[in-house]
Amino acid sequence: MLIWFLPTFLIFLLIGLPVFFALLAAPGILLWLNGQTNDITLLYRNVYNGMDSFPLMAIPFFMLAGELMNRGGITIRLVEFSQALMGHFRGGLAHVNVLSSILFAGLSGSAVADTSALGSMLIPAMEKQGYTRKFAAAITAASSVIGPIIPPSGIMIIYAYVMGESVAALFLAGIVPGVMVGVGLMLMIKVMADKYDFPVASRKYTWPERRQASLKAFFPLMTPVIILGGILGGIFTPTEAAAVAVGYAFIIGFFVLRTLTLKEVPEILSNAGMTSAVVLLLVGAAMAFKTVVSLSHAPEQLASLILSLSENPLILLFLINLLLFVVGMFLDAGPAIIILGPILGPIFTSLGVDPIHFAIIMSVNLTVGLATPPMGLVLFVAAAVSRERVETIAKAILPFLAVEIIVIFLITYIPALSMTIPRITGFAN
Amino acid sequence: MGGLASVLAPIAFVNETALRLGRAVGVVAIAFMVIAILIQVFFRYVLGNALPWPDEAARFCMLWMTGLMAPTAFRRGGFVAIDMLQRFLPRVLGLSLNLFLQLISLAVLLVAVNIGWSEVTGFGGRFTTAALYLPTSFGFDEWYRIPRSWMMASLLVGIVLLISVNIELILRSVVTLLGGAHLLPEIPEAAVGAE
Amino acid sequence: TAADYTLRATANSNENDEDYDGLVVFKNYVEAASNGAIEVELFIGTQLCSNGAECLQGVADGTIDIYISTSGGASGIFPYVQVLDLPYLMADDRIAEHVLSGDFTRQMRDMALEDSGGAIRLMTIGNTGGWRNFANTQRRVAEPADMEGLKIRTVVADLPQELVKALGASPTPIPWPELFTSFQTGVVEGSKNGITDIMGMKFPDAGLQYVTLDGHAYMGALWWMNNAKFQEMPEDMRRVVVDGFYALQQATFASPKRKSIQAYEDFVAGGGDLYVPTPEQKTAFKEAATPVYAWFQSNVARGDEVFNALNEAVAAAEVDVNASRDADLN
Ligand code: NA
Ligand code: NA
Repeated sequence: MLIWFLPTFLIFLLIGLPVFFALLAAPGILLWLNGQTNDITLLYRNVYNGMDSFPLMAIPFFMLAGELMNRGGITIRLVEFSQALMGHFRGGLAHVNVLSSILFAGLSGSAVADTSALGSMLIPAMEKQGYTRKFAAAITAASSVIGPIIPPSGIMIIYAYVMGESVAALFLAGIVPGVMVGVGLMLMIKVMADKYDFPVASRKYTWPERRQASLKAFFPLMTPVIILGGILGGIFTPTEAAAVAVGYAFIIGFFVLRTLTLKEVPEILSNAGMTSAVVLLLVGAAMAFKTVVSLSHAPEQLASLILSLSENPLILLFLINLLLFVVGMFLDAGPAIIILGPILGPIFTSLGVDPIHFAIIMSVNLTVGLATPPMGLVLFVAAAVSRERVETIAKAILPFLAVEIIVIFLITYIPALSMTIPRITGFAN
Repeated sequence: MGGLASVLAPIAFVNETALRLGRAVGVVAIAFMVIAILIQVFFRYVLGNALPWPDEAARFCMLWMTGLMAPTAFRRGGFVAIDMLQRFLPRVLGLSLNLFLQLISLAVLLVAVNIGWSEVTGFGGRFTTAALYLPTSFGFDEWYRIPRSWMMASLLVGIVLLISVNIELILRSVVTLLGGAHLLPEIPEAAVGAE
Repeated sequence: TAADYTLRATANSNENDEDYDGLVVFKNYVEAASNGAIEVELFIGTQLCSNGAECLQGVADGTIDIYISTSGGASGIFPYVQVLDLPYLMADDRIAEHVLSGDFTRQMRDMALEDSGGAIRLMTIGNTGGWRNFANTQRRVAEPADMEGLKIRTVVADLPQELVKALGASPTPIPWPELFTSFQTGVVEGSKNGITDIMGMKFPDAGLQYVTLDGHAYMGALWWMNNAKFQEMPEDMRRVVVDGFYALQQATFASPKRKSIQAYEDFVAGGGDLYVPTPEQKTAFKEAATPVYAWFQSNVARGDEVFNALNEAVAAAEVDVNASRDADLN
């Protein structure tokens, strides 16, 4: 009986009830119909308890660090650095767009921030050089999904918390897949550049010029070194690393680069706070939802349903790839992870898939969903930044999506791609 | 409908004022969170002497930040939803669906505020926090141990604000449905997406 | 096959824990002895709630029927349960088990019922993880003077911090999941844990190589139940539940002893230094720790009352146990 909260939830979601309310309304109604009114209290309580967590604090912190870096003129230094390295290739600015996203990913955990920060700078620049607007917007959106794959990553903090995994292990496992997405996109750009005769962005930089650009980008590029180095060295927890990143961004914005003013700070804090508040409420609601998932014994029933399809993990993983891809088309990665993680994770872990590996499969799959039509969040942001229609960008992004799908299959079927770094550093078994 | 719009104005004013105040406190809270954790990092790794309070104090601030700032995001349309169906439906049908969804949200919030009140005033609120104290004398020699209810109140306050916002949004939907969209003051859009 | 009563029991540990052993015994006994009238649903982990405050709140309002907390987990609302953390009051397992099987537990039950407005009932006190011992990365601790200056990890609670200070070491609150790396980096140099936790977390790999079996605190497992749920059952069913908790208590007394054998062997095999203090050294530890007793009596609500109760119970237990022992010897 209680299990009906799952279809009810799906209906609520599809008719457009905000995810936060759907996560509470569906189990709430079913508990009530089932005569378990007392357990509705449990639902409320776990919203609160779900938010009251030290690891979750990393979410507002990384968001704040990202905002500070953005306002602090750091983005532009990353772009200049990328240009010094890759601007002279055919399709130079497109490569610069991807490389900037890889670098930006080391500072920020958000694809949306990547799209809006890099897009507002690079899309007009690419247009000026003769790229079509839809192409510029498409590569911006496609490469922005690297943001939450390479650490730090808001999505992985959420996954780790909801599923009880180590944030550090997930962060480390994301490095190779993130770089693979970037390299894959660059290969596709190279193919297209030769075919469509893309422009080069600039003359080849001399080594002294490159040194100059590297120096200017040095402080921003140290951020991932501090975050990962600190976590790897056991010096601080991911949450503390995130707070240190905020302090670091603040210091370089104010005292080193001097591009940040005190007047901007309240707005930056307010934006980061508001965005995280929504995410935190969502995580709380997800933890409440998860409680009802356990009470209803849904995982056992779903597991037997899934296992009735096939018992071969490889086939099941393929089906999961498909499912996640479809879900990603309609739902943002965070909410999707929150909803599906607790249901799918245990099934695959019991089939012998490493929980960290499965986390990466889910995260990358759903993150790519951010750039897929019809409901991809970064498509909308790219549309807003470029003033190009979503449908047009959605068509132009298809070749890049193809690349990303190939990467998804590679990391699904070659666990070593994700697991090697966390294993050799002792953060995974 | 003019009547509806005139009911809406004071509600909108109250919401705007309360939420502005909420954002201001939220800004202080998030700043304090960072400072508390940085103090902890400094004490633990530089002085080799960890403090008991920063972890809990930072969580305290995070919960209040959430309770006070999420309602603004809700008012500005920042709660994630799949709004495809609504966009496909004919105008009136879409607006009616939206109103229906807002009523479901209100029902959820009303149940929540009920439970929230008994949670904060009940047994769970009487637990003490592990390490948070408030001085109760000017000489800092008397300390009051902060109960858990002070932390739990954050969600309750957040829900009360969400209800207030939800009522405003419902009234706006009704006015829009009746063809008075031009009478509505504009609400700025939220920056969304943690992804 | 719907049972007349369903009891929802939760423990925030995992299936390798003695709490789980206890629950399995409880479930099996109660379901069989009630002839299926009582069903016990187990939720192991943090699906329903994830710490003492959250879970006891659930027990109070009946969303959770049965929950096991440590003394630390319940101290936020019943601070006097920390009496079990007071060092060196109970000499060994035999004394502790005798005390906890007797009226002392009933006295604590009455206190908790009073303080929760009749909502929460303490059913029994078992064990979870044996005894707390001092362990460190630096040197063998044979007497209190060896503790001087060591940075010892404690939870964020006053009592363990007072104890560590009384012994001349410095208390450092570190979250449990971060403890391993904190040993590696030298942020802390020691901890106070049971051996199974030490080995379970692989702390010796992080340098924790010196364990002193001072047994400074009994790791009591407090089993709570929603009082209304208990009272609404007819007497024959209540008897089944009470006997079920007795069986559970016996199981949790036994389980840590069995589990610790392998842990101690592994510790020594890995080059660890296991030191058993002499009776004189143990007396010295107890003397060094006495300021904590006074602190507890004057700073913890109802601390005086519970401290005296425990001391009386221990004295009585020593008489009983010694008498039994004498009778068995001859
Ligand atoms: Na990132
Ligand atoms: Na990009």
